[in-house]
Amino acid sequence: MMWLAHDPVLTAAFACATLPFLSMAVILIFTRPYQRLSCAISVGAITVCLGSALYLLITLRHAPAPVEYQWAWIISSDMVIPFGFLLDRLSLLMLTIVAVISFLVQVYSIGYMHGDPGFSRYYAFQSLFAWAMMTMVIAPGMLQLYIFWELVGLASYLLIGYYYEKWSASQAGKKAFVMTRLGDIGFFLGIITVLLGFGDLGILHMNHAAQAGDIHPAVVTLGALLIFCGVVGKSAQFPLLTWLPDAMEGPTPVSALLHSATMVAAGVYLMSRIFPFFAASPDAMAVALVIGTITMLLASTMAFVTYDIKQVWAYSTVSQLGFMVMSLAAGGYFAGVFHLTTHAGFKALLFLCSGIFIHEYHTNDMREIGRGGGRKLTIPMICMTVGALALAGIFPFSGFFSKEAILGVLAAHPNKLFLAAGLLGALMTAYYSFRLIFFILFPRETAEPAHHHEEAHGGHGHGDDHGGGHHGHVFWAMAWPVMILATVTLVLGFFQNELQSYLLGLEPAAHGHEAAEHGGHGLGHYLLLVTAVSLAVGGVFFAYLEFGWKKATQEGFLRKFPAVENLFANRWYMDHFYRKALDLCVYCGFTNIFTRNDRRVIDGGIDGICRFTVGGGRAVSFLQSGMLQYNLVLMVAAVGVLVLVFAL
Amino acid sequence: MNSLSVYLTIAAVLFSLGLFGVLMRRNLIGMLISIELMLNGANLNFMAFNRFLAPEPAVGQIVALFVMGIAAAEAAIGLSIILALFRRLRSINVERAQRMRG
Repeated sequence: MMWLAHDPVLTAAFACATLPFLSMAVILIFTRPYQRLSCAISVGAITVCLGSALYLLITLRHAPAPVEYQWAWIISSDMVIPFGFLLDRLSLLMLTIVAVISFLVQVYSIGYMHGDPGFSRYYAFQSLFAWAMMTMVIAPGMLQLYIFWELVGLASYLLIGYYYEKWSASQAGKKAFVMTRLGDIGFFLGIITVLLGFGDLGILHMNHAAQAGDIHPAVVTLGALLIFCGVVGKSAQFPLLTWLPDAMEGPTPVSALLHSATMVAAGVYLMSRIFPFFAASPDAMAVALVIGTITMLLASTMAFVTYDIKQVWAYSTVSQLGFMVMSLAAGGYFAGVFHLTTHAGFKALLFLCSGIFIHEYHTNDMREIGRGGGRKLTIPMICMTVGALALAGIFPFSGFFSKEAILGVLAAHPNKLFLAAGLLGALMTAYYSFRLIFFILFPRETAEPAHHHEEAHGGHGHGDDHGGGHHGHVFWAMAWPVMILATVTLVLGFFQNELQSYLLGLEPAAHGHEAAEHGGHGLGHYLLLVTAVSLAVGGVFFAYLEFGWKKATQEGFLRKFPAVENLFANRWYMDHFYRKALDLCVYCGFTNIFTRNDRRVIDGGIDGICRFTVGGGRAVSFLQSGMLQYNLVLMVAAVGVLVLVFAL
Repeated sequence: MNSLSVYLTIAAVLFSLGLFGVLMRRNLIGMLISIELMLNGANLNFMAFNRFLAPEPAVGQIVALFVMGIAAAEAAIGLSIILALFRRLRSINVERAQRMRG
């Protein structure tokens, strides 16, 4: 342990990679009955991690080369698989995001989960989640990344299915786990492809070699496509996107964590982590671009029709992830990571605000919340509007800057179809997010709120013993993180240039020049900017016409097209399709074969062995005459044979 | 007459008699006695080899003493088994003890 003390950077990285795990172990083994202690341990661990992450970010801000600590883990002939930490600009940024969001969510959970019987278990899993994500972020090699990637999946399974006594929750947990596993199979095959084709799993080596053309192009394409399967599963991209809306069954802070900094962000992070590797294969990039576009549009349409407040944000997460994948696939490394950063902030903000409403009114239905008097909760209402403005991409909120960056990248892409899709996505995002806001702000048929309030109170499960609860510590534990996040959302966008020069490793001076070149298509750029903002404002206005205005019907234009509305509400029948496919392939196909195999081969084989043993015993049982002396004769004869064999 | 082969012959005869007895007697006591004969045949061999081939006097005699001790123990155990068998079957004929027939 002496080497730890001499290197503060290593110590900090080490703390991030071990403390949350220790906290989980301590909570699960020792302090489970003591809820406050467990909570304190977990929050303490994440606070230290946050401090370490900030320290690392500040210390290594100007580090010219990535800092790498590695210990050989698996050594097999000329293949060495290391275990350790890789601290470069991207991983430090992501580490900080994860630590900040995890910290805020854990603080928020003190209020939200207050009085829950599984409080300690909740914090143990939160620690596991933070640990897995942080160690994944600073992994220097693909194998370590993969291991912690799976641990992130495990933690989210545990947290989504946190209310395991609820059937739908345990189903949702399973669905999330199985669907992401489906993608992870591809990811693992991709790792094997890279290992066979290149022989090294170090991320930096892979990126460097792929850029330099040292890897066979076919290997790069195949590897990138297979690894992208993992991204598709984890980040809920097109064919595998239905697990994320179902993941709403977990507690709301878990959704906030899941949707912003961990789990789904892992996919996009992986893609940006090996971005040069991806970029070396135009085919893989094209596939990713198409998938990202489809995801973005599909998920936006689904958000048009749902009334579940969390589900709207879930669909918006899917669509924003699609945006990020599009950006990365179109070559916009910085834009993608920047959107990942801002999205982590405002999506956590939106979920945590929704959590306050849900905690207060004990319903997920936005109409109910509106009728219950949602707008009277001033702080969360303002914060949620801030988040929604950021999500819609309206100046000066952080989402505006990152979305502009992405649209700029898409504009530079030769195929203008993607730019059109991006603009359409921006319009739809603004529409559905403000549909939700207006539903809560301008409720219809206002029954007396008190009545609803009481009714809701009678039925609720987890104890909010403060009645209205506006001024208890429960409320403030939830309000503070939300306000911090709202502030971040407000100011983060103005640090775009700093972030860009940090991430791309440019000198500030050189950067100004570069930015001028990059963003400076002059008129075209401003035209794009104006178009995007006006589309976003148009979306908000459209939503106002339909849901906010006094004479508005609050039905939405989709009510006029029932078929389309059904299609959207049923998630384009993707779940039905999976159900059918599952029934056909698994229940009728595989299970039949396996049942037959089980009955005929395995059972039959065991029966055969038994029959053989019994029959064989019967056949030779005449030897056991029961006469002692016959046995003695046999023994003497055997000794005689031995004498003959050995003595003669 | 006083040579090794005489002793060995006598020992072999003793051993064979014992073996014959063990295999042919149906009486358990008789079998036990025959086993004693076999052991004595082996003992005689030890003594003879000790006397004629190994100048170190003690070794063969010690082994013979051990064999005697073991024979005594074996007789005790054997007799107690026979006694238990007799209590169960009211007989010491080995043909009666055929419960293990397959």
